[in-house]
Amino acid sequence: MLSNKSKLSAVGLLVAGLSPLMIAGMAYGDSSNNYGPFPVTVKGYEGSATNSVSYSGQIARHVLHDSLKKLASAGDGGSNAEAAEAEMMAYFAGSDKNKAIISPASKDDYQIKQTLMNSLSKGKKLSNKSYKGVVNGWPGQMTGPEVLEFMIKKAAMTKGGFDTSTGYNYPQLISKFAMGAVFYNQAVDNYLDEKLAADNKPNSKPYKDGKHYTGKEHVWDEAFGYWGAAAHTLNLSAKESYEVAKKKNFAVSDANGDGLIDLKSEMTFAHAYYASSFDKGGKTNYLHTVTQAFLDGRKLITAANGEALTDSERAKLVAYADVIGENWERVIAESTFKYAGSVYKDITKMEEMLAAGEDVSKTFAKYSKHWGELKGFSMALQTGKHNLGETAVKLNRLIGFGPVLLNASQVTGIDSNGDYLKDEALSWGEYKLHMLKVQKLMIDKFSVVARSKDQTANMEALADKLGDSDSAEND
Amino acid sequence: MWFLDFFSNIFEHFSDPKKRIFLGYIFISIGIAFFWLILQKKLSLRQAFWKIFDKKVFFSKSSKSDYSVFVINRIFTLFISPLLLTQMAIATIIFHLLHKIDLFNASVFSNFSKVWIVLLFTVFVFILDDITKYFVHRWMHKWPILWSLHKVHHSATKLTPLTIYRTHPLEGIVFSLRGAFTQGTSISIFVYLFGNSVDLITILGVNIIVFTFNIAGSNLRHSHIGIRYWNWLEYIFISPAQHQLHHSIAEAHHDKNFGASLALWDWLFGSLHHSTDIESLTLGVDGSENERSHSLHTLYIKPLGEIIFYSVEKLKILKISICQFGIRIQNKFYALVKQ
Repeated sequence: MLSNKSKLSAVGLLVAGLSPLMIAGMAYGDSSNNYGPFPVTVKGYEGSATNSVSYSGQIARHVLHDSLKKLASAGDGGSNAEAAEAEMMAYFAGSDKNKAIISPASKDDYQIKQTLMNSLSKGKKLSNKSYKGVVNGWPGQMTGPEVLEFMIKKAAMTKGGFDTSTGYNYPQLISKFAMGAVFYNQAVDNYLDEKLAADNKPNSKPYKDGKHYTGKEHVWDEAFGYWGAAAHTLNLSAKESYEVAKKKNFAVSDANGDGLIDLKSEMTFAHAYYASSFDKGGKTNYLHTVTQAFLDGRKLITAANGEALTDSERAKLVAYADVIGENWERVIAESTFKYAGSVYKDITKMEEMLAAGEDVSKTFAKYSKHWGELKGFSMALQTGKHNLGETAVKLNRLIGFGPVLLNASQVTGIDSNGDYLKDEALSWGEYKLHMLKVQKLMIDKFSVVARSKDQTANMEALADKLGDSDSAEND
Repeated sequence: MWFLDFFSNIFEHFSDPKKRIFLGYIFISIGIAFFWLILQKKLSLRQAFWKIFDKKVFFSKSSKSDYSVFVINRIFTLFISPLLLTQMAIATIIFHLLHKIDLFNASVFSNFSKVWIVLLFTVFVFILDDITKYFVHRWMHKWPILWSLHKVHHSATKLTPLTIYRTHPLEGIVFSLRGAFTQGTSISIFVYLFGNSVDLITILGVNIIVFTFNIAGSNLRHSHIGIRYWNWLEYIFISPAQHQLHHSIAEAHHDKNFGASLALWDWLFGSLHHSTDIESLTLGVDGSENERSHSLHTLYIKPLGEIIFYSVEKLKILKISICQFGIRIQNKFYALVKQ
């Protein structure tokens, strides 16, 4: 017979022994909810691969983007401009060298598995995958890659990425636009569009000769990679996915329990992160809706077992793609909505401070940062599958080419040397009205629901409190 | 299930503290009526009971038509209200306009004490609501087209709390627009000037001032319990008996006491009349209690006929005036030619 003390010790040992397994098990959750692994279905494949999922090239581009954003604030005001530009271009337009991963990087006990770009994928770049159309939201009638390169050059000449004379915050402009111009555009206007056609990358053939995945499997995986969700996202809450991106919750991030975060499958990037940021508020479910549609689509392709997809299977796949495209677009619209609200609030704050004779330089920097995010997201919104037409025109005109500056001027264009032209701007009041109209446009055209930083929310709350005005009663 | 939803939508005002016929307010009004009849009118409890629940009132032709109109109008409202301009639509337009004008910086007064802002908003909303009710009510009496509609309410010869719903649907639309306008204006101006500090002091989710009026027996305005206030108080607040006088057919009482909660507006704009004993009043438009004056045809269709007749008559007058004007011009032209 064991004594009570011995019994307690035995239970303690058992619990201690099982804990790592339990934690790993908890983190993993239901593996059928994971995006992969999926079996190899390519007919005639003779290699050793057992998992047909592959989107490391897309993860490499997420990392290039994150690193580029960090580097965009590396300028010291001019003296290191050449070197800063060259370094940024190495991440934007590619490099022969095996460049270091600048972000996401390890911190304290939050260890990331990969530290060099080639450990993700070799020879990847952002420039050749950027939106090829003309970017109307930015002066100069440039294409997507041209705009990004232009911004990189300008960023290199600033101190910390912030140009006080124009109010441009380049890390934000570059990052928010690139997320749309590369990830969103490539996914919804390429992989989930023409590449879903029957004769384009068919499921009955390998993606390329010798590859262990079919055409459709890889097309779908690449689109998923650009979305930026961790493979085990459906086992996590929106809040947990958000914490994964913020490197704040190692336990849920490390899905396989190996003590390292694998960027290829255990990190939340880009728009998946923004989706989680809205969803954790409880009003929306973008992250899981999109990720579930990706998973369901992948299961459908896998179930075809290397045969060409039938018309009805492809129709289902297109329906999943529509869900993905619509919700992804709304995530960008929600972001545009949010930052229009932030810009409104910042202007109000500056007006108050100026009236009180206070120094507004810090608030102006914050305003410029939020404006950069607003501008970047609004430009990103226009890089999707559909031409937004009048909505895009309105959006670009309401926001303008630059933030309204303290001296009531605003960037209105660029000259033949690539220098900015400025002219008289709207009043603060009118510009704030433009921000309200941007928010209304996002509601009317994209049915945004999360509505973070809603500048008319207080009015709606008051209207609710006052009750219906439609009472047909005599007093 | 849809039937249950529909049914609960129709009768939801009885459980909504924002509405005057909320059962809580009705019970309090009954209590006040008992106090008044026992302490002031010296009736016994039994007498007071039968006075309050007088079947001659609640089963009168007038009241029975009130009940039908209540249900029909609630159905109308369910269908019409989604089509009406909301307070938020008006608030948004004004809010945008204020930014456009840019006379003050938005949130210019946001540093004011929150307590004062909330207090000010609560009082402002109430005052604006009450004064606009006064003027709309006044116009309802003064303008023939509007009177054709408002007459439906005044055709009641017995008053019960449900008489407030004895309202022509077109009049209901006018009331809704007034409500949307006052709420939209108050909300937008206050949020523009005071930012996110704006709030409403409420009890059970209702503006505290409106709530106070409702628990003070606002349902008795439309009842046969003629509670009168002190003379001086009737300059400030409308007593139930003052409103009952508003429903009187006596010529001396015509176009008096338009106020909803405050008598101040009547006093200021010359339409105040102190209360009299309700027993001396005959209520209605012409005093008739016949079947036809309470028929649904009279209440819903007849006003439309009157409006059309009135408009045609006006157009005829306009046509004659234009013809006469044309003849005068023609004559002058001939006179000039002859010269």
